[in-house]
Amino acid sequence: MRSEKSAGSHVVCLVDDDPLVLNSLRYLLASDGIAARSFDKAETFLAHVEIHRVALVVLDIWMAGMTGLEVQARLPSMCCQTRVIIMTGSEGPDDERIAVQAGAMAFFKKPFDDEQFLAAVHDALAQARSTT
Amino acid sequence: MSERDEIGKEPFYAGRGQILEMIATSAPLADILTGIVLLMEAQSEGLRCSILLLSNDRKHVRHGAAPNLPQAYVKAVDGLPIGPRVGSCGTAMYLKRPVVVTDVLTDPLWADYQDLAKRCGLRACWSTPIISSHGDVLGSFAMYHQETRGPNAEETRLTKAAAQLASIAIERQQDHIRLREREARISLAAESANLAFWVLYPEQNTAWMSEKGRAMYGFNLEEPLTRESLMSRIHPAERVAVEAAFEQAQASQRTFEIEHRIVPPYGKPRWVIVRGRFLWDEHGNVLEIIGVTIDVTAQKQSDLQLQAQREELAHLSRVALIGEMTASLGHELNQPLAAIANNAAAARRFFDRGQIDPEILKQLLGDILAASHRAGEVINVIRGMARKGKSTRSLLNLNAVIADTLRLVHSDILIRETAVVTDFDSRLPDVEAAPIEIQQVLLNLVMNALDAVSVLPPAQRRIIISTHEREGPYAEVSVRDFGTGLPVDGAEKVFDHFFSTKAEGMGMGLTIARSIVEAHAGTLGAEDAEGGGARFFFRLPPAPRLSISKAA
Repeated sequence: MRSEKSAGSHVVCLVDDDPLVLNSLRYLLASDGIAARSFDKAETFLAHVEIHRVALVVLDIWMAGMTGLEVQARLPSMCCQTRVIIMTGSEGPDDERIAVQAGAMAFFKKPFDDEQFLAAVHDALAQARSTT
Repeated sequence: MSERDEIGKEPFYAGRGQILEMIATSAPLADILTGIVLLMEAQSEGLRCSILLLSNDRKHVRHGAAPNLPQAYVKAVDGLPIGPRVGSCGTAMYLKRPVVVTDVLTDPLWADYQDLAKRCGLRACWSTPIISSHGDVLGSFAMYHQETRGPNAEETRLTKAAAQLASIAIERQQDHIRLREREARISLAAESANLAFWVLYPEQNTAWMSEKGRAMYGFNLEEPLTRESLMSRIHPAERVAVEAAFEQAQASQRTFEIEHRIVPPYGKPRWVIVRGRFLWDEHGNVLEIIGVTIDVTAQKQSDLQLQAQREELAHLSRVALIGEMTASLGHELNQPLAAIANNAAAARRFFDRGQIDPEILKQLLGDILAASHRAGEVINVIRGMARKGKSTRSLLNLNAVIADTLRLVHSDILIRETAVVTDFDSRLPDVEAAPIEIQQVLLNLVMNALDAVSVLPPAQRRIIISTHEREGPYAEVSVRDFGTGLPVDGAEKVFDHFFSTKAEGMGMGLTIARSIVEAHAGTLGAEDAEGGGARFFFRLPPAPRLSISKAA
């Protein structure tokens, strides 16, 4: 049923500097009919979001160069209404609190449950649709 | 009649020949001295003689020989101190020159011994010190008469000759005693040091070995020794090395030393160190090979025990390191696990929708495999670090070990937002080392460096890991941070047990790291780096080349 709710192309972005994880996320979304655009660097995503409308970004925390939380902190000043889901393979004690306080819709510790993750993605996309 | 009687016409010289023969055949000293006394007494009617010896403490007189003096007199004199007024003999020894007393009843030197002399019927006493070839007083030769008189020229001459004869006999005996004492001391030292002496005669293919050596090698005392019988006692695994050491010593004309095991026919194998030298004649032929064998079994065992303790500590420290690296290890496992879970979930969903593209399925399965392998590697590393027991050494390229180690702490480096720069010397010689232990040393240094730079803002957190080939030669690994540097009260402090700047650290990491490096015949040091921060470095000797060059 969810596949019917597929959003427009490239409104979901994935950012993780681990190519294996990045690919797996893209396939997982594709298996549920959601197209996504992958970024293996925080900087290239930030460049992308400056000129494109992004409904949802799934951000990994620990990446070379810049953390996902830093990306999240920059987003409000760059574009409007990009929803954020944060994930991490190595949870710091305050990471979830910081992410949620900064407005993250969900926080996932890798490895995570596919149902919950997809549900969070759908929720975010539904919210995006309702506000635009 | 012998020739000697014709040469020395006087009866004294004939007798002297006999005395010299006694000396040469090592007759007992008392017999020789008695012989001298009797010989002298035979030269003159009414003459009585005695020989007194100087005691070991060089302060008293001791009985030597006096076959015809009254026992009471001999007893009374034995043990008297020497001095400037102690009769003729005590005074002669003290002054180191002849003392002639023509009348003991009036001479002040005899003041204390007049009664004794009177009781024994002695009236005149002439004494000549017996002087060694080094000029030391050995004793005195004394001549007594029952009436007051002094020596004539002939008597003076004979006295001198007799004293000289006594000097030869006494000195020879003292040399004997000294030699025996020295031998006893050496063999005592050798025995307590578990030392054996041996000599090999290659020409005759025979050998001599001290008793201790025979016991050590398991030969009985009569068994003839040959090169082959000695070789048979050397542990088979070390025979080639021992032969090579001998050959090299012969070629280089140097002392050789080799550690190996000997296997006696009964009892346990022993670890020994053999040190030896070739001796040549003037034509360059090997005369003999002399050497010592030292039993180092006990030392070896305590070395092994120490090694076991060191390995135990190293293991504990590795386990502690795993604890410190939870961020890294967790992250390194979670990433591939997430990829596996996501890919598997995606595949199932594609199936459920009945629209599986074989190409995509292949891709998903391939990624699952790759991720599983990655997780497997991480687990292998953890298992290796947590594994207890002997770590085997192999040929290692330190550049590769560093690269592996950095992969392992990749996430810690990320999380601590630190830039790690590597600068590898491509000509770095390989080392022979236990990979896990070297990785442990590196991990310690890297984790410490990460801690050291954590006080800085992220943009300034930098660590430089470099390798260099150093004079020695050594392979050197250097981990340089840009933190606050070493403690002001001394760089060495960081290597102390329980020194830690970390709240959760055991403070054992660097101590153990150093013991690991030292067990590999290397050194681990620290210094303040130029331009700030600290530099930790360790040096390991290059692995010995395995190929044996046959070219001469």
